[in-house]
Amino acid sequence: MISRKKWMRFSALILGASLVLSACGGGSSNANNAANAPTSGGNTAPSQQEDKQPVSFTIGYATGDPATKKAIADTIQRFTEKNSHITIKDYSETSSASYLDWLKTKDAVGEFPDLVEMRDTEVFADAGKIVELPSDLIELFNDPPKVEGKVWNAPMQVNSPQGIIYSKKAYEAAGVTELPTTYDEFLEIQEKLKASGISPLVVGGKDIFHMGFWVNKFLVDQVYADDPDWNSKRTAQEVSFTDANVVQAMTDYKELFQNYVDKGWLSTGDNQTASFLVTEKAAQLFSGTWMFTQIAEADPNFEFGFYAIPDREGKLNVIGLPSPAGWSISTEASKDAGKQEAIKEFIRFFFEPENYSLYLASINAIPSTKEAVTYESSEQMQVVLELMADPNVNKSLAINNWWGENQIPPQFRNWYYKLLQELVVTDGDVLDYMKQADTEYDNQVKVNAM
Amino acid sequence: MSAPVVQSAKAYTSLRKKKKWPTYALFFILPAFILYTLFVIVPTLGSVYYSFTSWDGISSDVRFIGLANFVEIWNSPRVRNALQNTLVLTISLVILENILAILLAMLVDKVRWFSKLFRSLFYFPTLLSGIVMGFVWAMMLNYNFGVVNGILSKMGLEAITVDWLGDPRYALLSILLSTVWKGAGYYMIIYLAGLQGIPQELNEAASIDGASSLQQFRHITFPLLAGSVTVCMVLSMISALKIFDQIAVMTDGGPGFETETLTYLIYKVGFGELRQGFGTALAMVLFFIILIITVFQVKVLQKREVEM
Repeated sequence: MISRKKWMRFSALILGASLVLSACGGGSSNANNAANAPTSGGNTAPSQQEDKQPVSFTIGYATGDPATKKAIADTIQRFTEKNSHITIKDYSETSSASYLDWLKTKDAVGEFPDLVEMRDTEVFADAGKIVELPSDLIELFNDPPKVEGKVWNAPMQVNSPQGIIYSKKAYEAAGVTELPTTYDEFLEIQEKLKASGISPLVVGGKDIFHMGFWVNKFLVDQVYADDPDWNSKRTAQEVSFTDANVVQAMTDYKELFQNYVDKGWLSTGDNQTASFLVTEKAAQLFSGTWMFTQIAEADPNFEFGFYAIPDREGKLNVIGLPSPAGWSISTEASKDAGKQEAIKEFIRFFFEPENYSLYLASINAIPSTKEAVTYESSEQMQVVLELMADPNVNKSLAINNWWGENQIPPQFRNWYYKLLQELVVTDGDVLDYMKQADTEYDNQVKVNAM
Repeated sequence: MSAPVVQSAKAYTSLRKKKKWPTYALFFILPAFILYTLFVIVPTLGSVYYSFTSWDGISSDVRFIGLANFVEIWNSPRVRNALQNTLVLTISLVILENILAILLAMLVDKVRWFSKLFRSLFYFPTLLSGIVMGFVWAMMLNYNFGVVNGILSKMGLEAITVDWLGDPRYALLSILLSTVWKGAGYYMIIYLAGLQGIPQELNEAASIDGASSLQQFRHITFPLLAGSVTVCMVLSMISALKIFDQIAVMTDGGPGFETETLTYLIYKVGFGELRQGFGTALAMVLFFIILIITVFQVKVLQKREVEM
């Protein structure tokens, strides 16, 4: 077992990974764009600030993950301390609603944030709620994804792989000495863990977004790895949820949940999963890199590892392609020159290496900027970086992160995840449930086309 | 001088014809009328239009789609499930809340010691907002850390601990019981007022004639509570049909879609699924359901009051 002190020695430059990743992004690398930006919020002298007119803007971002919430809140605080003429009203709040529900509700009450973390970019761009990212900000990033040929977001990080976060102690106690090389070996490990008396997996099913981690693992393995355009074919009704590959994916999901997931998974919130691991109520969690910090903070002495689950043939397929998401400027805010300039200053400040590295380190994320950003990474993050750098590892996206022709109806994701919860708790027939998914998908496509 | 007692709508109309309201009285009504019109009538009428559109709630693109939303409502298993949950919850809540409220009212009416304390204790849950109450109950019923399963485990009954909010067999029941706990105290106050208005001599006379407590309740107390029953039944029914907070906080309509009610479904499709037009059409349907049930209920209960 590797001690915490020891794994902290695995200090690595995320720069290395981001350079490797630039092959995925395909953008050219021009360093120091951020440094050459007209104004840097962090460098504004106090005497200059006195001359500036007071300006304020509102901000909204997803708060499902406490580490991300704190990292952004800290950045806002540092920015406003250095730019006393700018006031940022933080609309974000911990809510039981999904982020899209929250954002839509904010819009309905006339409080759509001036600067907003955008995930359903195409929907809000089509609705005219957000504007294109100004060209002087686009230059900060490595070939950010375009929707309808336009860049709408300042990507907050690169999508990084999700995988199994496991307790080394639990693995040792169950006699697991080797990490799995196929999905069947992974299931054998679950049996060993179960036999050792520990709940193999904790799932934060109370938060609907958490369902996506597992659902997309199976979809990526059995659907998107072979056919990245599956969504567009589904929209055109050329493929179906009742096809053998999807049914197999959802059968695997159902069997895993019924046999190896902690009994109270529907009452467990995403933010409770770390405590399940460190208190030895469960041996593993399937999640993303942002959990590393949470787990380490929950118990600094807890020893854990990370790996991506292979498919049945032993291939590794992970989330890892870029998608259009990140900071977006609202159309309303763009009409006010002073406000827009303040927002641009904040975005530049956010992505300045000394600030951006703190944000990235808090959530163990991979930088999206052209400029080099470094922070000390952990043993677990090393695995993530290796996965991203390995050309043999297939990179893909979650069902709702595809865009353009491959965008699914925006309302389908949460509906589908809920359907899959019901599939497990009612022990439903997978084929019947997939028929329902087909009907709902077609209906939503039809409704959206009206 | 006591006010004239109006016995029926006919008598009231007749009285109104005889005595005209002074014109200046309209000015007292006007502010409330304007506010009500602006914030209730106009949006309600606006909703009628949106229910015939495919509006997503965020874009300016509002397209008229005729009866498509209503056809979908008719054919949707999810709507049927939500309607079924709504009716089950409503019927159960109306019955359980009122039975419990009458029992509590009789208890605090009869008890000699600490009656004010009991009255306050029973009324206290109604002071909590549905959101707060939902969070408290969600924590208590949490499978992993909740006090309910904790107590069961301590009593050696670990085998019967269940995921109260995650198991479809218990989720709706958990919502029902927690809502009864919250609402019964409110109706207790109304019943208590009704009980205290019943002349004591009637029960004393019945008692002398040899009537048991149950007979006294059946033939004296309950008939004379008829007015309170009407009010409480209507209020609890309307409140049950509109149940939202508890579901949003305790189950988010889950597991899956198992505890979705019509009001919650309206919110989910309108806001979470970007289908404001469909959500508004559902709201129209709910409006007519409440209207029909309320009119029916008031007619039946008023008829019963007269008979009693």
